[in-house]
Amino acid sequence: MPNVLPIASRAQAVAAVRRLLRPRRALAAGSLAVLTAATAVGMLTPPILGHLVDLVTRGRPVDALTLPAVLLVVVAVVQGVSTAIGIGMLARLGEGMLAELRERFVERALALPLNRVEQAGSGDLTSRVTGDVEVIAEAVRAALPELVRSVLAIGLTLVSLAVLDYRFFVAALLAAPIQALTVRWYLRHSGPLYAAHRLAVGAQQQQLLETVGGAATVRALRLGDQHVDRVTRRSWSAVDLALRAIRLITRFYGRLNLAEYVGLAAVLVAGFLLVRSGEVSIGTATAAALYFHNLFGPVNAALRLVDDAQVAAASLTRLVGVAELPSPADGPARPAPVDGSLKIAEVGYAYQAGHPVIRGVTLEISPGQRVALVGASGAGKTTLAQLVAGIHQPDHGTIMLGGLDLAGLSAAERRRTVAVVTQEVHVFAGPLADDLRLSKVDATDDELRAALAGVGALDWALALPDGLDTVVGDGGHQLSVTQAQQLALARLVLADPKVVVLDEATADAGSAGAKVLERAADRALAGRTALVVAHRLTQAAAADRIVVLDAGRIVETGTHDELTALPDGRYATLWQAWSGSRSRPAEPR
Amino acid sequence: MIVATAAGPVTGGRVLRRAVTGQTRYVVPAGLLATGHQAGEALVPVLIGVVVDEAVSTGSTGALFGWLGVLGAVFLGLSTSYRFAARAGERAAEQAAHEIRRELTGRVLAPYGGAETGQLPGALVSVATSDAGRVGAVNMAVTAGIAALAALVTTVVALLTMSVPLGLLILLGAPPVLVAAHLLGRPLQKRSAVEQENAALASGVAADLVAGLRVLKGIGAEPAALARYRVINRRSLAATLRAANAQGWHDGALLGITGVFIAAVALVGARLASQGAISVGDLVAAVGLALFLFNPLSVVAWVNGQLALARASAARVAAVLSAPPAVPAGPAAPDTPVRGELRFDAVEHGPLRIGDLRVAPGELLGVVTADPAAAGLLVRCLARETDPAQGTITLDGVALAGLEPDRVRAVVVTAAHDAVLFDGTVRDNVTAVGGPTAPVDAVLAATRVDEVARGLPAGLDTAVGERGRSLSGGQRQRVALARALAADPPVLVVHDPTTAVDAATENHIAAHLRRLRAGRTTVVVTTSPTLLAVTDRVVLLDAEGGTVSGRHGELVAADKRYAATVLA
Repeated sequence: MPNVLPIASRAQAVAAVRRLLRPRRALAAGSLAVLTAATAVGMLTPPILGHLVDLVTRGRPVDALTLPAVLLVVVAVVQGVSTAIGIGMLARLGEGMLAELRERFVERALALPLNRVEQAGSGDLTSRVTGDVEVIAEAVRAALPELVRSVLAIGLTLVSLAVLDYRFFVAALLAAPIQALTVRWYLRHSGPLYAAHRLAVGAQQQQLLETVGGAATVRALRLGDQHVDRVTRRSWSAVDLALRAIRLITRFYGRLNLAEYVGLAAVLVAGFLLVRSGEVSIGTATAAALYFHNLFGPVNAALRLVDDAQVAAASLTRLVGVAELPSPADGPARPAPVDGSLKIAEVGYAYQAGHPVIRGVTLEISPGQRVALVGASGAGKTTLAQLVAGIHQPDHGTIMLGGLDLAGLSAAERRRTVAVVTQEVHVFAGPLADDLRLSKVDATDDELRAALAGVGALDWALALPDGLDTVVGDGGHQLSVTQAQQLALARLVLADPKVVVLDEATADAGSAGAKVLERAADRALAGRTALVVAHRLTQAAAADRIVVLDAGRIVETGTHDELTALPDGRYATLWQAWSGSRSRPAEPR
Repeated sequence: MIVATAAGPVTGGRVLRRAVTGQTRYVVPAGLLATGHQAGEALVPVLIGVVVDEAVSTGSTGALFGWLGVLGAVFLGLSTSYRFAARAGERAAEQAAHEIRRELTGRVLAPYGGAETGQLPGALVSVATSDAGRVGAVNMAVTAGIAALAALVTTVVALLTMSVPLGLLILLGAPPVLVAAHLLGRPLQKRSAVEQENAALASGVAADLVAGLRVLKGIGAEPAALARYRVINRRSLAATLRAANAQGWHDGALLGITGVFIAAVALVGARLASQGAISVGDLVAAVGLALFLFNPLSVVAWVNGQLALARASAARVAAVLSAPPAVPAGPAAPDTPVRGELRFDAVEHGPLRIGDLRVAPGELLGVVTADPAAAGLLVRCLARETDPAQGTITLDGVALAGLEPDRVRAVVVTAAHDAVLFDGTVRDNVTAVGGPTAPVDAVLAATRVDEVARGLPAGLDTAVGERGRSLSGGQRQRVALARALAADPPVLVVHDPTTAVDAATENHIAAHLRRLRAGRTTVVVTTSPTLLAVTDRVVLLDAEGGTVSGRHGELVAADKRYAATVLA
């Protein structure tokens, strides 16, 4: 499957970051200045220590040593306070940008056309909004302050070395080529290796979920050994990649150790030569060596973070890809559909060219009428329903909704007129009342209760631990599949659309739940134009009209009584087989 | 291989100990090498002092190169030690976690069951990943702990050799400094943890909205969802910033306190040096070592934290491993050849009640329960996922509860309503259980999986994805039914096998089910009239354990309750 959701290029990601940074320029400059000051103050420690050494070698009186020590204390306090302030400012900068990006992402994700979401599957979006956001948040929280402080420390240490004597600086630079080559070598290998490791860990996780989630099936079919094997294989491949990664990392640090030694030895030799020629004091040489030793930590940190930065950059391109999608422009106001009438004329549709799924379907539904679509899997029921819902655009023919062409309606207009309830069950995490208010923001408690009562859900909803305020969904009170479907229907009632497309499989709810849901749907659909994909024949029997589809064409249409009366009719045959009583007349509905 | 019941209770302590002792080959060398690394790191500032003393102050070129050589040797040593210490430690950690993962999987899948009772699959998986990882990581903590202790000893010896008073100042001063920083940081960090949790909310809500995207779009609730997200996102940002500020002050305080301590060391050291009690080189080295000391001390604190985490994780691992079995593992095997006669005698298990019921060998029996929960329980009892609280179920006259669960399942294959498909091709799934003689083609035709396959890109060799997710609900159900039928067992129990299948296909399946199962016992637990119509006999179980039995057509006409249950 092609990558349906866009990934931004590096340049686009940089541009997006710039855009986020622009309104925060003052904050960015301020936090950088404060952290620079903090680091610069810290740079005073080695020369003060060096000065102490000089005082000692020059045999100054003991009392002269107090002032430098006091200065050291002042440096420590100033450094501590300014670091704290700087970190806070940097967080405000980074987290603020992330929050804005996150918001844009959610906004654009919500605006994605449904067919695009259907194609991509919700997995990609979900992984971007959880995994990628998490990666970036972690980078902003931990890596960013460390990186900024390390880079500042490195820069200022090098400046300080140069201030002591430029030749110390030159000596220290001997380490740089080794470090540069090491990082280049490391990045070449680390990217693919870490990507492979993440994949392997993901595969292991999926296998565990499948095996553990399906444990009862595994036991019933005696597939235990096979599944332990599968888990072992996937787990081991993740272990193997982790071990390869640690080998790479240790080689990386090995090379950095070499750079440290080369640099340190060079600075010591420089000090030796400069002291011998009398150009610097022993104290200065000592300070230079200590400066360089102090670089070990920040250099290692900065170089290690290059890796995190790469991962975060990759995640950023995936977030920006969605966040920078053009926002769907709601065109000029047009006349709203006058009623809930639906006119489908000569509609054809194919997912793949040459393999039409819907062929020349013509169907007229008057406002408030309920039509059931019946047919075998693959007959085109769901596709036809999706065409009416506007998820796909017909290849031929037109669909008129309340006198207006569906294709010409904006997303917002369609949203107000047609509602779709599908097999997908989702309970939004949070209080039950909040979930319901998604479809009508300003609904009163009484309206919520009425909607729940309408779908037969009020009794159990009020019996929840905190009634309508009970936290449901992920991490909250678990609702049964039937309850979740009732909730979906209650949302529908609150949204109060003129036209409803109902494609909910009641299968997962079991037969008893299915009956409860059919009654609920019956009430939720009252007074609305409805196209119902009938998964159970009772759903069809309850409709005003039944349309039987076969291979994308309408083959029978009529009321339940008309169709069951057709000798050898398709619907009649199905109904007889289903009701299992050829001798008995059809159940009245 | 399935893990046998452990000899003795599995405790968290035992899990933790085994994670380390099982990796002795790697942990011991890793600890020794890490010690070498720490010693090397400690020697670097000492050697800087020596170079200043012996070469820079004296101007001796020989001494300079001699000591630079020593410094190089130390670097080589510390680098090599680190390299192999890290590798061995990581290997120990990963391997220990892997072993735990394997053991947990074995326990969850053990025929006698019980490990997943009261646990969500996600929680169990997190035990097998996060918790196993944390227990494994205890090997790293042990390695680092050994090294930190060694570094502490090295530093102590070095400092005390230079100067007893200065050494004592540093040794006695550093721990209180660390404790002070810790005490100062604790309230900040505690607050930070709460704020972090708040901060995570924004991601959680975003993921939840995206997961329900289709539902949102279905009712046009995108603007409402976005408005709600904005509020949460801003609240979350505020929480994150409070956490970051707390962290900043913690870091700043630590930096300040350390700096003040170093100032004290420098002052005392300089006074001692100016009195001639220590050399200038010693002074330089002492300041370096004082800074270095914070390293092993903070590692000790880290190891402590890791051990606490690992103990909690190990307890969770142990809880799964030592979960009581769901059913006792009787020693006996069913009689062969299997006739396939099932008898229920005064069975009571929750809502499931069966006073007296006999399923004749070779019978195709439909079972209808008034309470849907009872249907699920009946299937679970026959699968020996659970044993009835009262009464007995016998197979060919032998009580199921006295049989080895795995052996029962070899004879009685159950296809629960919520049975899942596994990653692999359609063909892999269908043939997962049946032997080489399985009537695969007949089964594919009977369940119309052949028709499903024709619509798939690679036919029967199309991968179904994790849990069969790339198939539709109806397709999954057909493949699952085909899998059960292809197992071709003496006794087959299927539960609501066609709820997601369209009426035409259900009709086809019903017509072929009879022929495929001719002569072997088959129990179909369902309320589908289409399926019930083809059975030899239907039994309606009522809530009191009573049974009404007869042919589907007769019951529909004669029994009002039956008609109401199967015809909506």
